[in-house]
Amino acid sequence: MTDWKTLAAARCPDIPADAVARMVPALEALGASFRPLALQLTPEDEYVEERGA
Amino acid sequence: MTIEEAARKLRAREVSSVELTQESLRKIHAEQPRLNAFITITDEVALEQAQRADDDFGRGIDRGPLQGIPYALKDLFKTAGIRTTGGTKIFDQVPDYDCAVYEKLRAAGAVLTGKTGMHELAYGITSNNPHYGAVRNPHDPARIPGGSSGGSGAAVAAGMVFFAMGSDTGGSIRIPAAYCGCTGLKPTFGRVSRFGTMPLGGSLDHMGPMTKTASEAGLVMDAIASEPLSGFSTPGFSLKSVRIGVPQNFYNERIAPEVAIAFAKALSRAEAAGARLVPLIVPDPGAINVAGRTILLTEVSALMEPYFGRRDDFGADVLSLIDQGRMLAGTDYVNAQRFGRKARRQWAELWRSVDVIFTPTAPILAPFIGQAEVKWNMESEDVRLATTRLVRAINVLGLPALSIPLTPDPLPIGLQIIGPLFQEHLVLAVGAALG
Repeated sequence: MTDWKTLAAARCPDIPADAVARMVPALEALGASFRPLALQLTPEDEYVEERGA
Repeated sequence: MTIEEAARKLRAREVSSVELTQESLRKIHAEQPRLNAFITITDEVALEQAQRADDDFGRGIDRGPLQGIPYALKDLFKTAGIRTTGGTKIFDQVPDYDCAVYEKLRAAGAVLTGKTGMHELAYGITSNNPHYGAVRNPHDPARIPGGSSGGSGAAVAAGMVFFAMGSDTGGSIRIPAAYCGCTGLKPTFGRVSRFGTMPLGGSLDHMGPMTKTASEAGLVMDAIASEPLSGFSTPGFSLKSVRIGVPQNFYNERIAPEVAIAFAKALSRAEAAGARLVPLIVPDPGAINVAGRTILLTEVSALMEPYFGRRDDFGADVLSLIDQGRMLAGTDYVNAQRFGRKARRQWAELWRSVDVIFTPTAPILAPFIGQAEVKWNMESEDVRLATTRLVRAINVLGLPALSIPLTPDPLPIGLQIIGPLFQEHLVLAVGAALG
């Protein structure tokens, strides 16, 4: 699980803490959906369009 | 009156462009207090362009079916000397050059009546703009028109203009078309120049027309496309030769009963007209949506980096999305693009077995202004995510997709017709045959 509050404090200190707290659920939900997709991708998925070129 | 009918009357001298334009401006001004569809109304420019169109007709100069036809541009198409806001305080300006689409429409003799209201930065689906006010749905002003091209959808549906231009990054042409009850085409990625438009997500932004009918959308596309549409012809087009893919996954989940009924009737109508319905499993639109959201969050935040210090100049919803995009990693963006490429290859295989794919455009009727959630039995869904659920993936795929209106009772419902790359002429012909 990402520590969004620490990450925001380090990377985007201008974002107020209450704004960070409000967006954590959305970031968590997106991450939970996106992470498995990213892990499916393999090097074999690259350059397929260039087959036969 | 359609563009085709107006074009015929103009050439028969039954009406002048100045008369059409005066009537259009009268409707715009009359509806503005109720619908707030426009940010800027260009009375003077419109009447000048209309007079020029009439003068050209008088000299025997015919620039095509849009000559003398009143229309509107979403307020992110830059127009030299005419205020262009992008729906935001940040980019509010009077540009000194024209976008490519406006250049093409001027060359076609069309008449600009104004710049339409939109969601701030085109980054949302309500068109409830904190700086320029809420655009309202012509069928029920308590409801949103959809967005982000909400003003364009309202202007066309209320008959203020014959057509309007919109932009579509995650459904922003098709959603207001569905909620307002008009036709909207998101062309193939790259088919219409984006030069001089205010960007949102560079790999997802598309520009396209909003009209009453599919046939009119074809006429506008012929004028604005980088290359003319090949083989677009609605008269005589038969659905008999058409294989319509009907997804058996994703697009039939969490659909409001009114939408499901209207969609089923549209399928029956197509089948009765001779089309072949082909049940289909489509490769994971939900996952493509997730990749699309990751791409968009990151691209917008990258674009807005010079303005991070102006937090007070953004609406709360847009600022939150910009903040979220800043939190994502570069690897997330790259992997989302990799996922998109893989999805495009998978979807390309579908066109071996079908010519077009039908889905509802939006799973719900137009929500009320201020409504945050949609209820589905025991669970709730964010209105923005529900509204974009059936359209966002198509931006990642870059495919042409048309939304046509199915029924205005009780509220408009849209049918989405998706086609293979660069087959706008086919989705338009199918849409016109059903319309």
